[in-house]
Amino acid sequence: MSSRRSRSRQSGASAEITDAQITDLVSKLQQLIPELRARRSDKVSAAKVLQETCNYIKNLHREVDDLSDRLSELLANTDSNSAQAAIIRSLLM
Amino acid sequence: MDSLSLHSNLHSVNNKRRQITHQNSFALTPSWTSLTEQRLYSSKLLHSLRRNSNPTAALEVRASADRVLAATAKGRTRWSRAILSNPICRWKQRHHKKVKKYSANKFMKKTTPEIRRSLPAVQKKARVLGKLIPGCRKVSFPKLLEEAGDYISALEMQVRAMKALADLLATGAPPPAPIGLS
Repeated sequence: MSSRRSRSRQSGASAEITDAQITDLVSKLQQLIPELRARRSDKVSAAKVLQETCNYIKNLHREVDDLSDRLSELLANTDSNSAQAAIIRSLLM
Repeated sequence: MDSLSLHSNLHSVNNKRRQITHQNSFALTPSWTSLTEQRLYSSKLLHSLRRNSNPTAALEVRASADRVLAATAKGRTRWSRAILSNPICRWKQRHHKKVKKYSANKFMKKTTPEIRRSLPAVQKKARVLGKLIPGCRKVSFPKLLEEAGDYISALEMQVRAMKALADLLATGAPPPAPIGLS
């Protein structure tokens, strides 16, 4: 069974990506995850990196959901547009 | 003298082209950590929310937050283009189980060989990750890793900006210095 090496989505060279390049991408991803950044060993497996990446994205999604709820309540309580205009002005300073 | 100038111009063009290539090939992480991007995002988000009718539902706030985030990314990444083309795709995914199952099967068929060849142990986790990032169910494994890196940085900026915005709204008055945003 042979699969197509180059897809219509991919442009440019059709060279297949190497395991070393994938390892490099996994390593870069590892640096972004707080859970894994604390560990200073290079022996974290790729599966572990992906697992923690999924967990971290879920946490960030949950934070955005909570902040959306909070902003929704705060906007309902803010009656005047002038307060929001003042905030926008301060943001643009 | 004229040939020297031409050579200098050519060198400049080459540098510029190489720089663009470099920027495209590497993750766009640095921009998400700058205060300018966060301020820009906060301003756009508040403008977007003001246009909505009172009272603004939490779901609408969430949709606006994601759409503005994707717009701030300027369509440079797959996840941002996916959000801009379908702002409520995340909620659709949650409620349509049939679509989810079908997509999962499709994903498995198309990408199994590559993932198995490269890193067989992470196949299942890569599938889960692909579902979490908008527009990344059917991408190759290396592309998935790149998109994940940029998406995480963007989400972190979004959280920082929304927290700062909520604090401003809660106090009712803006702080004297904009440094409070960071």
